[in-house]
Amino acid sequence: MMKTLIHFFSSLRLTVVLLGLSMMLIFFGTLAQVETGIWETQKIYFESFIAVWAYPKTWIAYDQLFWFRLPMPGGYLLGGMLLINLLAAHITRFKFTIKKSGLFLIHVGLILLLVSELMTDILSEESQMPVDEGSRSNFSQEYRNNELVLIDRSHADLDTVHSIPVSLLKAGKEVNVPDSPLSIRTVNYYPNAQIGRATDGKPVKSPATKGAAVKMGIVVTPAAVTYAENEINTATAYIEVLSPQGSLGTWLVSNVIDDRFPPQLVELGEKSWEIALRLKRHYYPFEIELVDFSHEKYPGTEIPFNFSSEIMVHHENSSKNQKALIYMNHPLRYEGLTFYQASFANDDRTSIFQVVRNPGWALPYISVLLMGAGMLIQFGMHFFKFLNKRTGV
Amino acid sequence: MILLAAALLCLSACDRAQPTTYKIPKEVRAATLPMPDTVAPTTTAPSNMEVLPGMQEAANEAGEIGYTKPAGWQEVAASGIRKANFKVGDESGSAEITVLTFPGDVGGRLANINRWRGQIGLADAALDDLPAYTVGIDIANHRALYVRLEGKTQSILGALLPFHGNTWFFKMLGDTNTVLANETAMQDFLNSIVLEDHAH
Repeated sequence: MMKTLIHFFSSLRLTVVLLGLSMMLIFFGTLAQVETGIWETQKIYFESFIAVWAYPKTWIAYDQLFWFRLPMPGGYLLGGMLLINLLAAHITRFKFTIKKSGLFLIHVGLILLLVSELMTDILSEESQMPVDEGSRSNFSQEYRNNELVLIDRSHADLDTVHSIPVSLLKAGKEVNVPDSPLSIRTVNYYPNAQIGRATDGKPVKSPATKGAAVKMGIVVTPAAVTYAENEINTATAYIEVLSPQGSLGTWLVSNVIDDRFPPQLVELGEKSWEIALRLKRHYYPFEIELVDFSHEKYPGTEIPFNFSSEIMVHHENSSKNQKALIYMNHPLRYEGLTFYQASFANDDRTSIFQVVRNPGWALPYISVLLMGAGMLIQFGMHFFKFLNKRTGV
Repeated sequence: MILLAAALLCLSACDRAQPTTYKIPKEVRAATLPMPDTVAPTTTAPSNMEVLPGMQEAANEAGEIGYTKPAGWQEVAASGIRKANFKVGDESGSAEITVLTFPGDVGGRLANINRWRGQIGLADAALDDLPAYTVGIDIANHRALYVRLEGKTQSILGALLPFHGNTWFFKMLGDTNTVLANETAMQDFLNSIVLEDHAH
């Protein structure tokens, strides 16, 4: 039994089947990208165990074939199986000799590549940091993730932020606010919504008793989640705040009720907290100052040819201060983060950086080096053997 | 196998989000603009989300504009991201009138007004000073902000109009005397604006 299992997992036939399925996954993933966009496709097809392809709405004969579904193994399943396959084959069949050291290196490189891909999926974080010319920023925001925050601004030098991930905002569920006497109960959470005083649409009945919703008569119309690349979901929630003495009221929070609005305050005795739902922020122990942003266009057009940001990093520990010039394909690597020039706005006065934290960023480079060295050894050996044969003749 | 097991374990562990508390250096709230009380918040991208390489497309998508050209203004072909373009001149100088639209709020009112102030050599204004040279008006049945900036040699009369996720900029920039002489014409022009509106 064990033998058949090992035989199955180490067989070359499995490798071929897995590679074939991978090609199929890439093919259907590419088709799906047209409808769902790159971000969603990546999640459904490549960061999953099973993916299901549906017949696209825009194709001919959709009316007859709308029911057609094609399930296939997802990226994690295929990658995992390939990894097991490669490891099993190595353990059962491979005998390390100098002659085979090239092959060995290639395979180690490949294994490392598969592992690094998984690490990137799980551990990497991406966010954006807009900075205006002449000003500084010490945080970045995730445009696809939100957080509920209660901020205590009573201290003279510090603000205390209590952050609750939106994944914990489930209707009816109570969550304790850490290091505070408060807890929150989610009345309702909408991943995307239209908010305003719009009389069109079908707004939900507002349970709000405090804050902007009451003062300004704002209502919420739930909307479908968007996956488009340049659109942001208006995450919105009705949150009841509870103190040990009972309910303090229900607030409407939304990531569009932002700094442009007066803060919504939760008050308990002498203490008060600002309550807000906002794009998830990452704060850093340093500030990025945008000294100068420059932007060149192709002559006579509005098409950008090059854009670059001259920045100064001010660290809490001033010995880590540094100057840098960030431009296309030339990011700044600093404190385990990578800052890419992503975009710009505001009449060329705001630069937007993509901030990526990827602890495994060096692994793909190492694996490619290993594979390169492996190939060099493998083919080099053949080459010299061939040369020797010729000179021998 | 062990690697995979470890990875799976991490996968399930990493997904368990937890409430956290952290301290940050005291934050200065971004300059907040008092919203005119008739304007409810609308769902728009945050001010810093404009991706400029797509601006031309955004301008193209923003819909068409209709207006009545005041007497004495000379229409110039709208080009690039400009939706309309005029010139006016008299014995004391000349001025140009431009109409542009951008997605989002383009940094907010104060930032835009200060950008305009910079163009005519005025120092940045504080939030509290805004009422001194702005007044709420209606353009195309939506609330807008009329801006009057008088500089030494150059002046600006303009309006900022948030319109279904875009911001329209109407601006007359030129020699102070010419600009001021055309204030009525500018107001008539703004009153005549009709915007393609799919939202209602």
